[in-house]
Parts: sequence; C-alpha cells; structure tokens
Amino acid sequence: MDKNDNIEKIPQEYFIDAEPEPFVTVRDLYERNRDRVSLEVINNEASFARKITEKEIHRPALALSGFVKVFTYWRIQIIGNTEIEYLKTLDSEKRYNVISTVLGFEIPCIIITSQNKPSKELVDIANQNKITLFSTPFSTTTIVQYLSEYLETIFAPQVIVHGSLVDVYGVGLLITGRSAVGKSELTLALIERGHQLVADDVVHIKKTATNVLQGSPNEVLNHHMEIRGLGIIDVRRMFGIRAIRGKKDIDVCIKLEKWNDEHEYERIGVDDETTEILGVRIPLIVLPLLIGKNITVIAEVAAMNHKLKQHGVNAAKEFDENWIASMKEKNEPKKGSA
Amino acid sequence: MKKKFTIRNKYGIHARPAGQLVKTASKFKSQVYISKNGKEVNAKSIMGVLMLEAGQNSEVEIRVEGEDEAEALAAINDLIDVRTFDER
Repeated sequence: MDKNDNIEKIPQEYFIDAEPEPFVTVRDLYERNRDRVSLEVINNEASFARKITEKEIHRPALALSGFVKVFTYWRIQIIGNTEIEYLKTLDSEKRYNVISTVLGFEIPCIIITSQNKPSKELVDIANQNKITLFSTPFSTTTIVQYLSEYLETIFAPQVIVHGSLVDVYGVGLLITGRSAVGKSELTLALIERGHQLVADDVVHIKKTATNVLQGSPNEVLNHHMEIRGLGIIDVRRMFGIRAIRGKKDIDVCIKLEKWNDEHEYERIGVDDETTEILGVRIPLIVLPLLIGKNITVIAEVAAMNHKLKQHGVNAAKEFDENWIASMKEKNEPKKGSA
Repeated sequence: MKKKFTIRNKYGIHARPAGQLVKTASKFKSQVYISKNGKEVNAKSIMGVLMLEAGQNSEVEIRVEGEDEAEALAAINDLIDVRTFDER
C-alpha cells in the first residue's frame, strides 16, 4: 500500500481560520522583550508605532559603507561592534553623510548591541528621522538569535481548530470530531483523572518549527469549558492550577466519531494513520464511540502507546516481527528435509 | 459454506494480512471462522487469527454461516487466493 493512502485530512469544517499575524509594532517588541534582553530606549519613543512585518533581522554594515541600492531597511537594524568601529574610521563629514543616508529610510528601530554607546551625531540624526534607538548589553549574536526566535513565533503559520488539547502523561493529544460528539466530555474526564487542560473547543495552533505544532488556548476563553447541561465552568478554579497548562506541542490527533459500520477501524497498529495540520504530519487515531466503551482509558492508552513508540517500542511491529521469525524457525527444518 | 485455501504469500498470515482478513470478514453479517489443523477461531478476531500461526504453504479452511455467506466467501477468496494479501 502506498504510504500516502494513510493520510486522513481533518475536515475543513473543523478549522476556523488560518491568518498569520501580519505585524508587531516596535512597542510590542520592546514591551515583550525588554526584561529578557535588557532593552533600553536611548533617545525617545518616536518610532514605537512603526510595524515590523518580517522575521528577518538586518545588520546595516554594507549600507553604512554607502551601498543602499539593496537595503532591507524595513527590518529591525542591529548596530554592533563592526558598524561602530567602522563608523569611527570615517572622517566626520563622510560619517555624517552615510548615517544620514541610512537613517533617511523608514527604519522601524535600531538596536545597538554589546554595550556600545552611540555617538551624539547618531542620536541626533535618529531624532531628526524619528527612529527609536535601543541599547542592550548582549552581543549581536545573542540578540539576533533571541529576536529571531521571538519573531519566528510571531510570524509562524497558524490555524485555529475546533477541538480540545490535553496533556496526557506529557503527550499532547488534540481531540477533534464533529460538534456534540463528546470532545469536551472526554476532555473533562481526562482532567478529572489528573491530566492537564491546554484548551477546550478552540485550539490555536502555530507551526513554531519545521515539524512542531504548538497549541495554546484562546486568550478570551482561556481555561473555561462549556459542558452541555451545565454551562460554562472554570477549570482552573474547579480543579486547581495543576489541571491546566499554557501551551503544549501537539503529538497525536484523536478523532472521535459515532460508530460507523462503513469505516474500517485500526486493528493492528503496524501502519500508522496520519493527518496533516499546517503541512506537519502527526499520527491520527480514529476512535469510534459506543455506549459502554471507556473512551477516557483508551485515550490514556493511546498517549502511553505513543510515548512507547517515541522510546523505540512499537508493540504491534515487534509482535509482527517475532511472529514472522518464529514462523521461519518452524518452517526451516521442513525445508532441510525436503 | 466452506472453502480450503493454501497460504501463498512469503510470511503467511502475519499481523498485516491478519488485519486485512479480519477487516474483510467484519464487513459481513455472517459468522466467519478460520481453521488450521483442526483448530478453529473466529475470523473477526485478530488475536485468534494470529494464534493459528498460518505461515507460508499452510492449509486453512474458511467457514462462513449467515445470510451473506456467499458474498463473504467471495471477498475472502479474493483476498487470500487472488490478491494473496497484496504481498508476495
């Protein structure tokens, strides 16, 4: 069987939208990162409203040497030791001219790294052009790495899915299925058994790395749940702080559905079924609901089975290999005598 | 209805073929049994089928009872004899 036959797409109706955040403002950048990388405003907040629309960060060394034909001025600009030392080598007129040219572009902000102090000239030109200058004690490498990671997350492809996300024994289970199939009830049962709720009903999913899907709750709904017949409950208050979790990478997708005679449910587990979210493939388990079936325990076992597979233990595969090996052994003497 | 089969694929009815057999049998309302050397098990049970240890060249008998037995036997015949479990 071709491997692609095994991908089952999550129905489009479970997705709410797929719009990445288009920008962060310089103010966002400052407020969310100042403590972590000790950002300080050198001059003023002149360009705080400007938007950063790309995750890339730029070092304007080449632009400062006079080449501005290709200059990605719309990105965050980092001035490090190289730029500072280079500017020092210029005579004052040339220096004034290159700085004026570079800062004449609509730059969102400039970060001066490694405790370098900007010259008065640089500050004045920045003020004239309404560009905020930040300083940080960290090196250029550290800042670029840190901010890239931050911006990567901001601009990561994202999608919102109708479903629940629960951390079961450290395994992120995304529970999907039609409306009223019992997603919230399964989620509640898992919480009650000591597992952690990440999000119910609405899961925000971000592709934070090539193969990583990070799920988090909606900021408005947070850790509230709607249980049919009861209404809205607050899981944090009811079950305590240990029953919730802020974000969690998604490891397995569980699709709940009413028992369907037509569907062939998994019986072996040698060939894993998968689904795709934001282009990332994750294992898919389709669980049929039948009265009297303890779906909660099955979900826990699914999580543990996934964990075992991560640790290199695939029960179904091993069983199959052992079965084949033992068959061979039993058949070999026959061949010899024939 | 009954029919005897010789298992021809290299590894016999190991996990994947057992899964195919069980899925095929489960599509029908009839009771489906499989036996080897006088040991008979329910062909809708994975563990039962694997227990038979039906390796290559072994002889098994399929027994089907019920309203759709003819269709069930035809489907199983297709799986075991025609497609040899989609394996060699």
